[in-house]
Amino acid sequence: MILAPVEYCRPDTIDEAIEALNSSPDARALAGGQSLINVLKMRAAAVDLLVDITRLEELKGIVRHDDGSLEIGAGVTYAELAESDLLAGDPRAIAQVAADTVDPQVRHRGTIGGNVCHADPINNFPPLMVALGATMHVLGPDGAARDVSAEEFFTGFFTTAVEEGELLKSITIPALSDGASVGYVDLEIGEAAARAVAVVRTEDDQIAEARLVIGCLPIPTRRPEVEQALVGTPVTEEAVAEATAGAAEGVEPLSDADATAEYRKAVIPVVAKRAVLAAAKGGHRG
Amino acid sequence: MTAPTRVETPRWTGQNYPRKEDRRLLTGQGRYVDDRGMIRQGYAHFVRSPYAHARIVSIDTSKLENMTGVYCTLVGEEVKEMSDPLFQIAPPPGGNMVEYLMAVDKVRYQGEPVAVVLAETRELARDAADLIDVRYEPLPPVVDAIAAQEPDAPILHDEVGTNVSWQGTYEYGDIDWALAEADHVVKIDKLHFHRFSSTPIECFGVVVNWDRGTDTIEVISNNQMPMFGAMMIAPSLRIGIDRFEFTSQDIGGGFGIKINLYKQTGVLALLSRKAGRPVKWTETRTEHHLDGGHGNERWFLDVEVPVMADGTILGVKARAIDDAGAYLHYEPLGAVIWSQVLPGCYKMRHFRIDYSQSLTNKCPTVPNRGYSRMQHLWMLERIIDIVAHELGFDPVEIRKRNYVQPDDYPYETPNGCVYDSGNLPLSLDKALELIDYPKWRERQKAAEGTTKRIGIGIGSTLDSGTNNFGQSRIINRELPFSGNGEAAICKLDLYGEVSVALGTTPQGQGHETTAAQVVADILGISPEEVTVIPGFDQARNSYVGFSGTYASQFAVTGINAVIGAAEKLKAEMVELAAMALGASEDEIELAEGHARVVGDPERAIPFIGLANMIYTNNAELPTEVAERISLNCRHVYVPPFDPPDPDRKYGNLTLTYASQIHAAVVEVDTETGKVEVLDYAAVDDCGVRINPQIVEGQVHGAAAHGIAAALREEMRYDEDGQLLNANFLYYHAPSAAEMPHIKTDYVESPSPFTGTGAKGMGEGGGAPLHAICSAIQDALGSDVPVVADSFNPPERVYRLLHGEGLGAGRGVEVVSKEGS
Repeated sequence: MILAPVEYCRPDTIDEAIEALNSSPDARALAGGQSLINVLKMRAAAVDLLVDITRLEELKGIVRHDDGSLEIGAGVTYAELAESDLLAGDPRAIAQVAADTVDPQVRHRGTIGGNVCHADPINNFPPLMVALGATMHVLGPDGAARDVSAEEFFTGFFTTAVEEGELLKSITIPALSDGASVGYVDLEIGEAAARAVAVVRTEDDQIAEARLVIGCLPIPTRRPEVEQALVGTPVTEEAVAEATAGAAEGVEPLSDADATAEYRKAVIPVVAKRAVLAAAKGGHRG
Repeated sequence: MTAPTRVETPRWTGQNYPRKEDRRLLTGQGRYVDDRGMIRQGYAHFVRSPYAHARIVSIDTSKLENMTGVYCTLVGEEVKEMSDPLFQIAPPPGGNMVEYLMAVDKVRYQGEPVAVVLAETRELARDAADLIDVRYEPLPPVVDAIAAQEPDAPILHDEVGTNVSWQGTYEYGDIDWALAEADHVVKIDKLHFHRFSSTPIECFGVVVNWDRGTDTIEVISNNQMPMFGAMMIAPSLRIGIDRFEFTSQDIGGGFGIKINLYKQTGVLALLSRKAGRPVKWTETRTEHHLDGGHGNERWFLDVEVPVMADGTILGVKARAIDDAGAYLHYEPLGAVIWSQVLPGCYKMRHFRIDYSQSLTNKCPTVPNRGYSRMQHLWMLERIIDIVAHELGFDPVEIRKRNYVQPDDYPYETPNGCVYDSGNLPLSLDKALELIDYPKWRERQKAAEGTTKRIGIGIGSTLDSGTNNFGQSRIINRELPFSGNGEAAICKLDLYGEVSVALGTTPQGQGHETTAAQVVADILGISPEEVTVIPGFDQARNSYVGFSGTYASQFAVTGINAVIGAAEKLKAEMVELAAMALGASEDEIELAEGHARVVGDPERAIPFIGLANMIYTNNAELPTEVAERISLNCRHVYVPPFDPPDPDRKYGNLTLTYASQIHAAVVEVDTETGKVEVLDYAAVDDCGVRINPQIVEGQVHGAAAHGIAAALREEMRYDEDGQLLNANFLYYHAPSAAEMPHIKTDYVESPSPFTGTGAKGMGEGGGAPLHAICSAIQDALGSDVPVVADSFNPPERVYRLLHGEGLGAGRGVEVVSKEGS
């Protein structure tokens, strides 16, 4: 596939990058290019200027703040996440999810910022960011900066709160409650077809706290009713299955060549149950 | 003094000699078509139909007329003026099809080319193509092969007058008697073999120049059967075969699909003629999915199977409806090729298969690894398992009972094919041993009642190799084809170098290595000292009409051509040496790069000396010898075939039958329908192996293709004829990471018909499709519909678990005689 003609620039600073992004309504930030270049090859978007942000030092790096929160630069690659000493053993499961993303070539180019900003329903990080209660730091022209919660960040199919001329700088992910774990389970049919992410804290073999997010939907979707039903539930397959039975109520999955929406609705409660059980048992995947 | 003894030369044949071509292929030094080019070339880009079925109202190229860098355009109406319709293999009605090199008046599948642009750069050609304004009047599409045969179905080709391109009944024995006599008749409503492709990682590519000075057409391409391509397009281009020079070096996978590269080559040749310059075209992945060619989709309807009380299966009655897509590319040869393996691995004697082929508004089908036999073998293996399941036979025992037995070979099938050799029960035992069958049966019991059920499946297949092209007469008795063959040239060059030119177009099969191994043994040198010229070049004159790399035959046709050429060369060398050394010919041996007198190593002449005698010192030779001996020996191997009898649809259709017995263990997640392969074994019997490691590589490749086809890959069209997964984002070709570990073993049953004992084995028989369907059925048990589709992604298995199958009810019915 062949790209349409497109201008390219590689600014040295974040301010120059934002200036460039504001020079045309069809400018787009180019990070690892693992999604955007394919979009351009398919001519699925009109882009007249690519602003290469891969060399911006301000977007690099992972920092652990005193309150236990992590701040991850938008330009950090999956490979850097997977191999980070700071993230090794961290209960937030970011390193494990990064390590499970596609293949080494993609992991060495693709970035967490690109993953969340592209907001493809099959992308790995959006539901995890929502489940972890992450905050996205967005920069705009003239020094503007604003924070958006992950729950408000994803606004639709391939769309986010990042407006034209803005750039995601970093993501802050708060510490989990003591003893809480992440369960991340998907059903893969070539690509993920259904996905659930759970953050669960247990006390005395009962669920004390739960967050549940369903992925592979146009917007990663929290299930507050299920979360409430889970609180006080014993950590048994039967009890968790009952509490997550309604995980697909009201959601509208996509139909495509891999699976129908009807089927996806049928298996969402299954991945939800497994994610909750995986989290309750202290582990990343069921 | 002891009697002279001949020096024991090392036997290179049969060894795992490291592949000679790997040095370049594994270090990025291969030369593929996209690495090639010609001076002054332009780049071509096709404009393709977005519709599955539409009338072309108008094509307006005027915006490109004065565009800088755009050399020219070509549309269907011009192609109609400049060329003739393609030759059709089918008899009427399919043979009445009028197919030009590019769509004229109508398009019949999404992605069909309607125009082509030539420009200074590839990017410009792509952008300029967007400025061609094509107006269409959409027509109702036909996407279902069964519905295509309904009387009210829209007709794809008016001149054909029907969507049934070919029909024939294959009847042997007495199936009505068998159905009446049988203790049980098992009836299966519907089986469906799905559409997929082996998706070679290198898409199509052509660099072509119609040279005005010589009126010759130079073609650099990755066509895997170039002389078939030449035969198809030469009449259409109104030229002779002698005008062509087809060449290729390295090819990035073919699997049969690259036989389909002739139509594009033809239209690009016309574009080159019009532009007066060379044309380069490199297909994109999406174009390849839309237009490159897919494997055959096939339905089997109203299947009836007579079974005796002891488990003996007497035969099969069925209707097969093949889906050829929109045009007949290589088809309808598939309509006879399946009958090479009519009874599969089994001693069934009674058949009536009513075979018809539908035209539909989908990409044309072309040979794809396991071509046409795989579909039929899948049906037979489904039958075996369904019979076992419904009547309570053990799936291992029923196979062993019905297999052709080791002492039956050579075994003549009901349609006159001769299975050359094999040991199917031993192969099955080895496969079961590799997976530790009893262990998995225990684990299966332990998993009962859980959400993770275990199933064990078997796939028994044949890979029939070395076609008798006479079988084409069963399709169309007017066709002037029979037999098969391949050419090779073995030459002693000026300084005593040994070189070999092949007629084949290897795509990773290691021909340079295996050819060098057999030549080394004949000429007493090492494979290192044999140069096998990479790739194909028509100008080397080392080809016949059947040349190419396809249909599991190099180990027979290619290698025997090489052996024949090397033996001719050896005879010439021995004659010269005898003359030079004053010895008799039977005293001469070739060893260590010399011709020498046995037992008297002082009396020797190096290869360079023999070369000198012919090439540069011939006044010392008698004229008769100098004129007769060339040291440049061409040999054509011709396998022993007679033309089949088209009336009875009877004859020996292939020379060799390699077998593959696969065993698969799967886990079915009953909550999601997802199938995971837990263990996998493949046992291959291809007779004598020239290079075992190359054989094993082929086994791995065929297993990966089959496992992925069974669980991940389907060319999925919607009801409008739109392909939903025309790229690798949505079409899930596997990488090594998605493959289970494949355990392999082999049985060696030498073929009595091939000289070397070797058999072709590259395609495999689609065994993983059979084994995985069998394992899924085994895991699901009897409460749910039968596994009736060859493609089983999670949703399909989930629906089976919830009672939704392909046919009515469970899709199967058993009628038993009283007391049975």
